[in-house]
Amino acid sequence: MGTISQFCHEQGRSFLEAQRLTKTYQVGGSTVYALRDVDFTAAQGDFVVINGPSGSGKTTFLNLISAIDRPTEGEVVVEGVSTNTLNEKQLAQLRKEKIGLIFQTFNLIPVLSAAENAEYPLLLQKLSKSERAKRVDAILGEVGLRDLARRRPNELSGGQRQRIAIARALITQPKLVLADEPTANLDSETGAQVMNLMRTLNEEHCVVFIVVTHDPAVTQYARRQIRIHDGCLQEGGAHDVVDTASQPAA
Amino acid sequence: MTWWIPLRSLLRNRRRTLLSVAIIALGTAISLFVYGFLEDSRLQIQAAAVNEYGNLQLASADLFDDTADGYDYLIDPEREAQVRNLLSQHAAVTGITTQLQFPGLIASGKQTQVVRVTAQVPGNSVLNADKLVFKGRPLDETDVASILMGRSLADRLGLHVDDVVTLTLTTVNGAYNATPLRIVGIYKFTSEQVELQTLFMPQSFAQLLLGTRGVERLIVGLESISATDDAKEAIVSQLDRASIELDVRTWFELSAIYQQLSGFFDLLFGFLTLAVFILVFFIILQVLTLAFLERTREIGTLRALGTTRSEVFRQLLIESAWLALIGSAAGVLTGVLMGWGFNALGIEWQPPGTVETSVLAVRLGLLTAAPPFLVGVVSTLLSAVFPAIQTSGIRVVDALRVN
Repeated sequence: MGTISQFCHEQGRSFLEAQRLTKTYQVGGSTVYALRDVDFTAAQGDFVVINGPSGSGKTTFLNLISAIDRPTEGEVVVEGVSTNTLNEKQLAQLRKEKIGLIFQTFNLIPVLSAAENAEYPLLLQKLSKSERAKRVDAILGEVGLRDLARRRPNELSGGQRQRIAIARALITQPKLVLADEPTANLDSETGAQVMNLMRTLNEEHCVVFIVVTHDPAVTQYARRQIRIHDGCLQEGGAHDVVDTASQPAA
Repeated sequence: MTWWIPLRSLLRNRRRTLLSVAIIALGTAISLFVYGFLEDSRLQIQAAAVNEYGNLQLASADLFDDTADGYDYLIDPEREAQVRNLLSQHAAVTGITTQLQFPGLIASGKQTQVVRVTAQVPGNSVLNADKLVFKGRPLDETDVASILMGRSLADRLGLHVDDVVTLTLTTVNGAYNATPLRIVGIYKFTSEQVELQTLFMPQSFAQLLLGTRGVERLIVGLESISATDDAKEAIVSQLDRASIELDVRTWFELSAIYQQLSGFFDLLFGFLTLAVFILVFFIILQVLTLAFLERTREIGTLRALGTTRSEVFRQLLIESAWLALIGSAAGVLTGVLMGWGFNALGIEWQPPGTVETSVLAVRLGLLTAAPPFLVGVVSTLLSAVFPAIQTSGIRVVDALRVN
């Protein structure tokens, strides 16, 4: 198994920074800290796994760095631009162009086929039909679901659905992919397949992956492991990646 | 964004969509049916008004406004010829005739009755009572001392064709005149009042009785009712240029009954439209609010993927537009089928104050379908605006938390 530098020539360049990130909620007149003074940096080619117990602030952290929620204090900087300075439309633009999202419950659109679900972000980017078709074909090939392109989500297994969700997240060639408990609804074997796929895509596309999970099995895929506890981040250090038989060589 | 994603979204819950379509269709169909019925009635009254007044009438303003002193309003033969010459230059004019009316008293045995004599040129193509005659015969150019009497008056006085009555009148010079008149025909009309009060007589004989060569008005027939206003405008300017002081009135201006009924029909349709609008609006508002609410998480996903609030709003509105179009089209189809069925029944009724039955019918066509279709579309679209704003405006992070 190779290291990230073999696959990503831009390795080490900072892509995302979170500075003194704090998120509070008002509950019954008192302030509850979901995140407290969190500093975090992700560089090109990173594969970061963030784990922690339920309610520790993992999802809140993911929501803030994916620009779907705003911090109470602190800021998230993506490629040098603070998301605090962006309005709703600009945040949507940022998510559309630079961030891919993978959800625990897949969140596929039930009325669209597998291929159409993967194609959706390209519709937002107003790409031509031929360009969309080319990219959908390529990404479905990468996630191994070309044969199931016409099936609706309810005709797919959990693992297949998550692969489609990964295809949807990657089809716009984002620089950052955020995954929230991507294996939570999958059995261990399918979960391993999905994680292997994500690692492969991380290496091939030089995409930053930040995976939030409380599944210990996912940790072995991390290059960096971070633990969140009571809203505070604890860096777990660099990690040698798991060498799985199913992971293709570069 | 695309049009087909909203369409597919619409079809995901077919039972609910079917219910929504049925509600919109029902509202549209009822609206079309009633509107078609009112339009048919309106057109029947319009045709009757044109039959009664012609398309246009030219006369002294004093006559129209009922402010004339004696017979000052009469148009002499030279002026009549001049006006006829002007009118004949107008392409839309298909015929011109004249008319003379005067009050009188008829006596038959021991009974007398106040009447209004309408003197016409027999056989003219614009306005005559020929079509109304159902017993005896119409008036003829050669007729002298002959009249057509209304069915109701003949029944009241116990008179028949070929019976003779005596008419007493005042001439244009103020002298009394009396003449025997033979009933050559009995006519029927939609209005009982007209049948009781109006006698028809050849104009030439009426002029003889009144002691004048003048007529009170010229009546103009046009190629179509829709040409009336343009023709009036052109004729008024022709008369102005020729310095002829005659007023021009359209059938619409002359027919008070048409104006009243038309206004009543508009009011009736307005109320119905409002009722249908409110019904469709509130029911579809409920249905769409629920439908959009159920998809909060999905919409949160779309927003998280980079779809803007306005794009989501537009998608929801396109979805509602599909619903509106399908529902309203189904409503038009249902309304047309209901109309055909109703028309096939051939139901007759006798409107109050009339002596003739008429067939109740629903007018079906593009023009009668358009307003109900629009009511269906607009009410559905408006009902979608609030839930679409509410759903598209939800915070992404909150939407994603919804199960």
